[in-house]
Amino acid sequence: MSFSRRRTTLGIAAGATAFALLVAGCSSSKDDDKTPATSGGNASTSGEDVTLTITTFGTMGYEDLYTEYQELHPNVKIEATNIDTGGNARTDTFTKIAAGGDGLTDIVALEEGWLGAIMEVSDSFEDLRDYGIEDRKSDWLDWKYAQGTDANGRVIGYGTDIGPEGICYRGDLFEAAGLPSDRDAVADLLEGDWAHFMEVGKQYKDATGKAFYDQSGFVWNAMVNQLSEGYYKTDGSLNIEDNADMQALWAILADGAANGLSAAQGAWDWNGGKSFVDGTFATFMCPGWMLGVVQGNTEAGGGDASTGWDFADVFPGGAANWGGSFLAVAANSKHKAEAAALASWLTEPEQQVKQFEAAGTFPSTIASAEELAASGTPNAFFNDAPVGQLLAGRAQGVKAQFKGPDDSLIQENVFGPATQALDNGSDGPSGWSQAIDLLHELVG
Amino acid sequence: MTTTLPPVKRKRRQSMGIDRRPGFVLYGLLTAFILGNAYPLWWTFVVASGTNSTRGETFPLIPGGNFLSNMGKVLDAIPFWKALVNSLIVSGTITVSVVFFSTLAGYAFAKLRFKGRDGLMVFVIATMAVPTQLGIIPLFMLMKDFGWTGKLGAVIVPMLVTAFGVFFMRQYLVDVIPDELIEAARVDGANQFRTFLNVAVPAARPAMAILALFTFMMAWTDFLWPMIVLNAQNPTMQTALANLQSGYYIDYSIVLAGAVMATIPLLVLFVAAGRQLIAGIMQGAVKG
Amino acid sequence: MSTSSETEVAADATTRRRPQVPTRSGGFGNWLSQFDRKVTPYIYISPFFLLFGLIGLFPLAYTLYVSLFDWDLLKGKGDFVGFGNFREVLNSDLFMNSIGNTIWIFLMSSIPQVIVALILAAILDQNLRGKSFWRMGVLLPYVVAPVAVALIFSSVFNEADGLANNLLNLIGIGDQAWKHDRVESWFAIASMVNWRWTGYNALILLAAMQAVPRDMYESAAIDGAGWARRFTSITIPSIRPTVIFVIITSTIGGLQIFAEPRLFDVSNAGGIGGADRQFQTTVLFLWEMAFFRRDFGQAAAVAWLLFLLILLFGLVNFFLSRAIATSGSTSRAARRAAKKQKYLAKEAAK
Repeated sequence: MSFSRRRTTLGIAAGATAFALLVAGCSSSKDDDKTPATSGGNASTSGEDVTLTITTFGTMGYEDLYTEYQELHPNVKIEATNIDTGGNARTDTFTKIAAGGDGLTDIVALEEGWLGAIMEVSDSFEDLRDYGIEDRKSDWLDWKYAQGTDANGRVIGYGTDIGPEGICYRGDLFEAAGLPSDRDAVADLLEGDWAHFMEVGKQYKDATGKAFYDQSGFVWNAMVNQLSEGYYKTDGSLNIEDNADMQALWAILADGAANGLSAAQGAWDWNGGKSFVDGTFATFMCPGWMLGVVQGNTEAGGGDASTGWDFADVFPGGAANWGGSFLAVAANSKHKAEAAALASWLTEPEQQVKQFEAAGTFPSTIASAEELAASGTPNAFFNDAPVGQLLAGRAQGVKAQFKGPDDSLIQENVFGPATQALDNGSDGPSGWSQAIDLLHELVG
Repeated sequence: MTTTLPPVKRKRRQSMGIDRRPGFVLYGLLTAFILGNAYPLWWTFVVASGTNSTRGETFPLIPGGNFLSNMGKVLDAIPFWKALVNSLIVSGTITVSVVFFSTLAGYAFAKLRFKGRDGLMVFVIATMAVPTQLGIIPLFMLMKDFGWTGKLGAVIVPMLVTAFGVFFMRQYLVDVIPDELIEAARVDGANQFRTFLNVAVPAARPAMAILALFTFMMAWTDFLWPMIVLNAQNPTMQTALANLQSGYYIDYSIVLAGAVMATIPLLVLFVAAGRQLIAGIMQGAVKG
Repeated sequence: MSTSSETEVAADATTRRRPQVPTRSGGFGNWLSQFDRKVTPYIYISPFFLLFGLIGLFPLAYTLYVSLFDWDLLKGKGDFVGFGNFREVLNSDLFMNSIGNTIWIFLMSSIPQVIVALILAAILDQNLRGKSFWRMGVLLPYVVAPVAVALIFSSVFNEADGLANNLLNLIGIGDQAWKHDRVESWFAIASMVNWRWTGYNALILLAAMQAVPRDMYESAAIDGAGWARRFTSITIPSIRPTVIFVIITSTIGGLQIFAEPRLFDVSNAGGIGGADRQFQTTVLFLWEMAFFRRDFGQAAAVAWLLFLLILLFGLVNFFLSRAIATSGSTSRAARRAAKKQKYLAKEAAK
């Protein structure tokens, strides 16, 4: 009895002490750090100590860059939070904007897919023109810079990476089907529009009996992104129901699925990666950041560099981009100038090259793309393809497309199910009407 | 089962089936069940000690040799020790607080008579029925107002007392403590708190152990709220582990090595708590 | 340990004559003990209500407030629409779809869970060798990291060559479309939920079972009751409050299932519960509404509608479980056992 009473009292005491400790002094507030104030480096302020917070997600590869920046600017301390997935990062960023914008870190990484929604509340972020971004405007690909600009001309994001698309393909499977397998030849073979792509696919299917690409969803996304006006017109109105161009592309897609060219895979699942190995499909829509995914999944499926994946400098329909991020400065940041300086530095061509080397994210600045193009480092997994060089070529000629507020919702939650329906046997017209019904339900 | 008893008595004992050691069938069922439960944990360890390709195998059984090196990579990539300490503080504080206050409140609801008791109890249960997913937004606003964002308090305070804990202890205590004991203690001159300490707490021990275990595990594995309200200054185990998913592509062997490392403290707790759940022979005597 | 003093107290209580009025050492002492008796209950329950008032109430009130407006997640508060959001939600096919999914997944998970947990607890209640090992072993699923759970179950229910289909093939059943077919995806999700929570509930029931005095079983056995009879007539009624607890908490939890369908759906959208929303539970629908469609007002309406549904199910289950758990205790063996108890207690007190 006394034992348990002592334990309870101990418990209360322990709890109280722990609680007191943590409330009293567990974590320091933002401006606590008292490192000796040397005025080394070219900090944009008087050299007083500053702690900058930054939130990134997924694979941005900034870790070493943070260290470098802190060495260059000893008065700056960087506290970086990396969130595992884009989805969780969106939850985090949206929650904080919804709660008043006050909880955002000084610098926030924004994904291209969110921009449509964020642009409606672009006041949550600083207009970077106040911090000299216009002087650097020519650093970037023009369409990337345009993407980060809202309807009123405010530039809210420093472009980080982009996703220029090429075609990943299985050289061995192409060969077995009697198609050329050398990457230049493949680039010639697949050059053309989507109808041509499907024809080559039919050829492949006739020769081998297997599907050509993994699922319809990624193909559809690429098709839509190439249009000059996508799901929204530039005036902000929806552009889907009577869009003849879009419907024509849908027909091509449906035709491909009907001919068995799509392997009806679950995107991001791919049978645990095995489909990349066992030849279920032979081509794959490959933006720069997808190369890592292909490699990771192939290895998970038991394959390796000898499996035969290669990368061709071609994309049906011309240049296309999928994905990419920006670094934005929160409007409620207490250190806007310093944050802008850091974000700007992180997105300079020199740093973007290092970022590519660390995480494979393809840079959005022209100079860094040129450097990667020149170096032509072969990627062992992709049959020694000089991916940096090829991607640099693929980044040219991408059209900037206006993204409306519900763009990513439409892509994922409206056309996601609809393209899956195509893969599961629906014909074109019923797939399209399913999409339209969902569109009305979800968007209006 | 002895062989020295006369046949009649032995048959009687066996036919009663009390306190007899269970037969093989029972152990067999249990083993099958435990194996099914435990395999995913074992799988985690096997992949953590292998490479990224191990995760694609249909039925991996044998661990590889990479666990130590993967562990090293985890320690390099994330502030493991700091996160561990933070998680221990958070989970420990929450657990002690929840168990203490839930037992107190549960005892009051179960054994004490006061006006509005049943209505208030129903209210407590009803608060569990509201989905909490949207609550992160107003809760974040609150934490901002209190100035607690980024501090461990933001994760601890919302969890100091739970409706689940109160409800659980109440249900347990309502039958386990005989009313006569409480009366007797009161007649002896004990005040409410002494009665609570001397009568309720000893009887509540198995339930307190379970509640402590569950609360600790739940606090330890919580991810969404800590992710939003904390930052790199004060990572918990789960938010720190999320950093392992960055890189050129996700190497699951490292991600799962981190997961294994984060699970070890829980397994230690299991062993400690397991001892608390041993038979209530004492309870039998109290009731008798 | 505590036995001797407690049985002493019990014995004293039955033998000592109770005074008509409590002993008092003057008016103040009496007032103090009255105060102690009347007020301390409120003090004991106040931590919960204080904390709730401080931290829990605001989110609830806020979501209720939000549900009455046209409220964009990012853009903020719009016009007042009263019950407009509720009407829109109730008219939404997708909402109804999610309710259907939720209820079916709930039934497929909670019912087997509670039954298996009861049986499991009964087994664990036995005099096993290595008790700690078995008892803790059933809790292992709870500590497996969500990322591992996602990978494993995605792999097990892989339609091409997952473990589940492989086993079915062995007994001659063809491959099932776990991730596409509606009912089968419910089954897969329910399996994930059951795997994770059955041991958890079993331990809760075990803790209650441990408090049932062994002598009751003995008396019943002497009277000829077999183990099944003893289980239904003694064990279950004796742990009735805990059974009710398990049923209510699994009802509440089962209707709020969120993590498992989210993990099972590996698509880019990661929140719509399958290509056709075939396993989108209502909380997942709420999540989609809030963070994808950014309609905070409607999402709040969904939360409150779900709350009402849970209350309804909770009440129904409460009355059901009371009926079930009581029915056994009027059996002959139990009554006789109870009589025996009283007799033995009287003997011991002499």
